[in-house]
Amino acid sequence: MSGTWMTTRAWLLMAPLLAVMIAVIGWPLVDTVALSFTDAKLVGTGGNFVGLENYTKMLSSGNFQRTLVTTAWFAIISVAAEMVLGVLAALLLNQEFRGRTVLRALMILPWALPTVVNATLWRLIYNPEYGALNAALTQIGLLDSYRSWLGEPGSALTALIVADCWKNFPLVALIALAALQAVPREITSASLVDGAGPISRFRFVILPYLAGPLMVALVLRTIEAFKVFDIIWVMTRGGPANSTRTLSILVYQEAFSFQRAGSGASLALIVTLLVTVLAVAYAALVRKTAGSAA
Amino acid sequence: MSALEIVNVRKAYGDVETLKGIDITLESGEFLVLLGSSGCGKSTLLNIIAGLAEATGGDVRIGGRSVRGVHPKDRDIAMVFQSYALYPNLSVHRNIGFGLEMRKVPAAERDRAVREVATLLQIENLLDRKPSQLSGGQRQRVAIGRALVRKPEVFLFDEPLSNLDAKLRMEMRTELKRLHQMLQTTMVYVTHDQIEAMTLATRIAVMRDGRIEQLGTPEEIYNRPATLYVATFVGAPPMNLLEVTAAGGSLMLGDIALPLPAERYALLKEGQRLVLGIRPETLQLGGMAGIAINARAEVVELTGPELVVSANAGGQQLVACLPSRSRVEPGQGLPLSFDADMMHLFDADTGRRIGDPSEKTDGTATPSH
Repeated sequence: MSGTWMTTRAWLLMAPLLAVMIAVIGWPLVDTVALSFTDAKLVGTGGNFVGLENYTKMLSSGNFQRTLVTTAWFAIISVAAEMVLGVLAALLLNQEFRGRTVLRALMILPWALPTVVNATLWRLIYNPEYGALNAALTQIGLLDSYRSWLGEPGSALTALIVADCWKNFPLVALIALAALQAVPREITSASLVDGAGPISRFRFVILPYLAGPLMVALVLRTIEAFKVFDIIWVMTRGGPANSTRTLSILVYQEAFSFQRAGSGASLALIVTLLVTVLAVAYAALVRKTAGSAA
Repeated sequence: MSALEIVNVRKAYGDVETLKGIDITLESGEFLVLLGSSGCGKSTLLNIIAGLAEATGGDVRIGGRSVRGVHPKDRDIAMVFQSYALYPNLSVHRNIGFGLEMRKVPAAERDRAVREVATLLQIENLLDRKPSQLSGGQRQRVAIGRALVRKPEVFLFDEPLSNLDAKLRMEMRTELKRLHQMLQTTMVYVTHDQIEAMTLATRIAVMRDGRIEQLGTPEEIYNRPATLYVATFVGAPPMNLLEVTAAGGSLMLGDIALPLPAERYALLKEGQRLVLGIRPETLQLGGMAGIAINARAEVVELTGPELVVSANAGGQQLVACLPSRSRVEPGQGLPLSFDADMMHLFDADTGRRIGDPSEKTDGTATPSH
């Protein structure tokens, strides 16, 4: 059989899948890119070509910059807290105690809940009139009167970060726990004989085994946190006073609320680019960590 | 003062007792090997000495001081593990000096100690490498260095050579022996390899089912095994065990009579069922030695230095290790003989050795099962 025929046959066999991929991924992407260079509205005919105007406008707007800062803040704080909480929970669940298996199973629960359910749950907890948080804080004397946690620009983002952490730290804990179980028992024993205390033991014995898997968790969580939409949409819709508006919310508002499809598309592409940069940087980092741990 | 005393140490996991009362006293500079098959409790005992496991009963004294409840780091011990257990992200230098670093020894002093040990182990050119850049043998040297640098009262080794290939294992064995001769430190070494035990130990404790089957020098263990278990565990090929009966001044092996010297026979009862143990290498071709035994050769294997002959005598199998130039053909009659002093007699029911008049009672532990 000739090489040309083999190549042709390979392309023929791949053709159906390629067609599907072009239809569902390629075409919308190309269309979005094309759209981002126009002033098209969501309804009506395609708009006029405006060149890079959508991009320059968007990148120089105060709205975009503030939203970028809010998104970065949300991503950094929530992911950092999730990593710390996750590792601490994993260290705890790696100890031997009665009821460990039950606790391990329970820990997964928040992560297994759909985001919308989690968001609704936390809205109830934060409710300014009958919320559990207000009740608890006033009863133990930390709060004089009930507050509207999600209604005040000063506390809304923090409240969202707490809700997001509660949902997502189990994932980090799960990954860390799996990594902890791969730490050879003999190395831990050797460090005990060598006189390493808990902190040295964590730093020199456990962390090298945790670093690789944690890096993966960090990549996944940061990218997700950067794209966050659902939990915020359900809890605050980006408010109050845009204090919880993240990039994905801004894209939604631009494209659907204000019906500016052209600038919405340009914004979506900017977010995609940012996430891609993050993903590539992290992938390089993961490779480096994996290389040094081997 | 003894370097290490193990007093009636017991360990139980729920209802399962893995150590059933172990007593060993070790003088300074001794090399004790805990020898036994998997699950005999030897590693558990080592972990109890190290403080990595807690005994259910009994006491461990290191340098005269009871270490019950004392943290491993405060026991004045160092340990070498089977999987080397090196810290993967630290250099060889820091791996060796880790124990000193944790004890806040000043950097200059630490560096001097690490370099001294590295020179001793011939790994001074590897100090900047990471464990992943080392071969198995080099890793084990680093692990030994990490133990040596601390100059503890007792060194503990948990099957340290098991992960090495045969050639390297032999080299490291000699290296360990050289180190022990040079440093004269007290060592406790766990292994299931009887060659390692025989070559390294000043004393061997053969363990079985959580008990010490016999505690003695390698010569005692080899030449005067206290029980059938010890007799078969040590020696390769293993000791021949033939079922015999005492009758009329002889041992009856089927219909073959093996006449015994009168003073040996005096220790037996007429009609007593016995197990006769003969090491394959003590069998000689021809009737030159004291007691003759006529066998029939079945399989002949030349290993190089010797000829290993599997034979049948009185319906029972035995193996003889003969000089490599011996002329033996399969199926041929095989006249063998052995010295009466080189035979071992065990009670068929209890498995205990039946002493011979020339032997004094040694310090063997009494198996209590």
